Amino acid sequence: MKPDSTLKTRREFLRTTVLGSAMSWTVPAFLSNTFAALHANAADSSTQIATGRDSTILVVLQMAGGNDGLNTLVPHSNDHYRSARPKLALKAEDVLKINDDVALHKSLAGFKGLYDAGQLSIVQGVGYPNPNRSHFRSTEIWQTASDSNRFESTGWLGRYFDNTCSGCDPTVGVTIGRSMPQAFAAKKPKGICFDDPKNYRFKKADKPGADEMDTTEESYRKLNEPDEAMMMSDNSGGTIAAISGAATHSGAPLDFIERTALDAQVSSEQVRAIAAKAENKAVYPSSQLANSLKLVAKLIGGGMATRVYYVSQGGYDTHTNQLPAQERLLRDLGDSVKAFMDDMKAQGNTGRVLVMTFSEFGRRVAENANGGTDHGAAAPLFIIGGKVKSGLLGKYPSLAPGDLFQGDIKYTVDFRSVYAGVLEEWLNTKSTPVLGKKFEPMRVV
Amino acid sequence: MLKPLSASKWNYTTAAHLLNRAGFGGPPAQIEELVALGPEKSVSLLLDYEKIPDPTPDPEWARPDPTRMAALREMRSAPMEEKQQMQKDERQLQRQRMMKLRGWWFGRMASGPRPLQEKMVLFWHGHFATSVEKVRDAYYMWRQNELFRRLATGNWQQLLTAVAKDPAMLIWLDQAQSRKNHPNENFAREVMELFALGEGHYTEKDITEAARALTGWSLNREEQSFVDRPRIHDTGEKTFLGKTGNLDGNDVIAQIVAQPQAARFISAKLWNYFAGEAPSDELNSQLAAVFRKSGNNFKPLLRVMFASEEFYSPSVVRNQVKSPVQWLVGSVRVLEMQLPPPIVCWGMTRNLGQDLFAPPNVKGWDGGVTWITTNNLLARYNQAAALVQGDYSGMSGANFAKKPGQGDRAEKVLKKIRPQAADVGKIFTEKERTDKTALVAALEKRLLQSKLKEKQARTLQEFLDSQGQLDDGDILTAIRLVMSTPEYQLT
Repeated sequence: MKPDSTLKTRREFLRTTVLGSAMSWTVPAFLSNTFAALHANAADSSTQIATGRDSTILVVLQMAGGNDGLNTLVPHSNDHYRSARPKLALKAEDVLKINDDVALHKSLAGFKGLYDAGQLSIVQGVGYPNPNRSHFRSTEIWQTASDSNRFESTGWLGRYFDNTCSGCDPTVGVTIGRSMPQAFAAKKPKGICFDDPKNYRFKKADKPGADEMDTTEESYRKLNEPDEAMMMSDNSGGTIAAISGAATHSGAPLDFIERTALDAQVSSEQVRAIAAKAENKAVYPSSQLANSLKLVAKLIGGGMATRVYYVSQGGYDTHTNQLPAQERLLRDLGDSVKAFMDDMKAQGNTGRVLVMTFSEFGRRVAENANGGTDHGAAAPLFIIGGKVKSGLLGKYPSLAPGDLFQGDIKYTVDFRSVYAGVLEEWLNTKSTPVLGKKFEPMRVV
Repeated sequence: MLKPLSASKWNYTTAAHLLNRAGFGGPPAQIEELVALGPEKSVSLLLDYEKIPDPTPDPEWARPDPTRMAALREMRSAPMEEKQQMQKDERQLQRQRMMKLRGWWFGRMASGPRPLQEKMVLFWHGHFATSVEKVRDAYYMWRQNELFRRLATGNWQQLLTAVAKDPAMLIWLDQAQSRKNHPNENFAREVMELFALGEGHYTEKDITEAARALTGWSLNREEQSFVDRPRIHDTGEKTFLGKTGNLDGNDVIAQIVAQPQAARFISAKLWNYFAGEAPSDELNSQLAAVFRKSGNNFKPLLRVMFASEEFYSPSVVRNQVKSPVQWLVGSVRVLEMQLPPPIVCWGMTRNLGQDLFAPPNVKGWDGGVTWITTNNLLARYNQAAALVQGDYSGMSGANFAKKPGQGDRAEKVLKKIRPQAADVGKIFTEKERTDKTALVAALEKRLLQSKLKEKQARTLQEFLDSQGQLDDGDILTAIRLVMSTPEYQLT
């Protein structure tokens, strides 16, 4: 099937169903047809189109606030570590040894289990040149994959969609949360976000009779329909978003809201149907992160065409009284991800998922006067999945005072080479167009 | 550029625009009043708000509590079981006060006599975004809110200084813990990056030097107020933004405000807040010039902005995404209805991504199109039903949960509330309530201050036709439908 005919089918569909008989419209049938067609196209291409039911899945897990890497992957036998941290250095009984040099924080028992099972790789010393110690700027740098002195308006995942996604539906990227991360910002924005599937719909009011409310819902659909002119217009892209946005000047807020309204309609039925039907087959802790991962597991099990999920966990900005706070956060992290992987195993999807953590920076080597640590630079990140290249990757940065830069360890791995590895080897796409330049892909799988 | 809007362009649309942006909007009658006043007097009416008395009383707990520190100390040293109970009581007390505080502020925005002052308080809250999640004291949060109100349209240096000494800010950005041997850079960094200059207009060295200069500015927790402690001040020589000496906090603020970039930065941010888009370089230069010429006072800058041709250009009018607070307060104002109880106001705005007194981080809310996601848009449509029809069934979920997994709390909370629907008889005439075409026109005029697309107007008309003879419930549904359009999300 030629791309042209796919797109024609798609426009045909949108014209006849969305505009024609909205009430009888069923999303999943349409989605699976389109995806099947697109997937067939992709088979011949060296770049995998970012959609399809059996494709690999990336779960990005943001640890917001700047996680203290030194107390996460602990250089337990290092004297510089102990002398810089009289109060915060973790004792031998507070760590889970990986080897003679490094150990995991003891509350990362979940991660240790995954490590021993060959499903966890630890990339050491991840950062970037000229590190920025502002939460916002450094988060932005990670989200946009830019150099630290350059400002990019699009995110690295958004550019991945822009490059590979001329034909996928809005659910190709799913954020669990109330707002979209900057990593998703794109020339043609894709992806949906929600925190609770139950509320992810236009709700009928209770009081009036049922017939009457069907009229309300039908009216809502019509009021939020894009113009027919837009739908009919020729468009080189293929997404619903692109089609609906083609006829108006880009960047206008109204245009953006109209596209979002359509994406909401399209995705709401599908997400709710899956979330209501699917079940978790593992025991998760009780936390926001665990709830997010439970939902992701359901959506994966339910056959969403999503390639990238995004979840986050906050609270890592431990300027004061760090020990109990970080212990709680890392336990939540390790246990939640472990439960998620158990769930994937029960689903038979272990080999399809890759979880990648990141935090905007690590923290200073030296502790501060308040039992905490201040904003620093490089830190380890974790990659979890059935097919990961398990073990320690990269090199632990030196803690010798002479090797530090303004009290911070120097990065040994540029985070963009991790992204490059994920893009090339996991998402099967060329990384240079996405990252703007060539980074040596890290062998993550 | 920055020519005053000519009187010939003053009409219902432009007057509504002023009221929407310099305030939170209002019903047709109020817009007509402004039309009659003309542009200059309308701007004065909003901007010279000191002339209008605002009798809102302070919350009864909004004063220093000399026994508080002793009580907190007692709590810390109490035996385990007692301590847990005391901590629980403390958390509950703070929660109750915060809810009161939110209701108090929502009330001022929705029905207070000085909408522009409150709109500026909201601006400063987003600008100096401080969260109770870290401050953990409703009194401090109220006090900061009052500071923003007192200096809402005042002098920049005075405001920055007051903010640097504000107890909530001292806690929020760790200045309270900074001392000469361990200067904390958090406030020093953000005052330049986010509050006054913007990234790229200072060096990392400026940050460490400013942090040293600011040591000594601290918090007296006993008296719950700012204190200057010479003993923890670093008296050594510092060089900050080109100035050298034994600099202190006042020098830091003065030196920042003296930068030409300071005027550019804050005038651009204000323009963006009120006009809904970043100013061009040229416009920004002109705004900054007005600001500097006035001695860095905000009121003259706002007067020029609100009177300018640019402020009423087609790319500005009805092209700003409503913030969740604007969505709620504006809806209540145009529908001439009472605000829902504080907990519902809080739940609604929080659910749409704007939790007052708890911004996501010190950068505040990104605003603009980032308010709109698939999730938030559906939530706006559903909450329109809650607000207008008094049907809270669409508001279930995590809206009121203190923690995730407490979704059931919503039902419990909402069950106790007797919702109020909008009063159709008050806002529409007899003719509008019976003549469907007249009703569509009245809905457009009141809710959008402009026209729906032709197809949308037809859809609305068809909906009304399908209901036969209209009752109040049908009209409320029609209001909800207009609020469930992309167009209503703009102001």
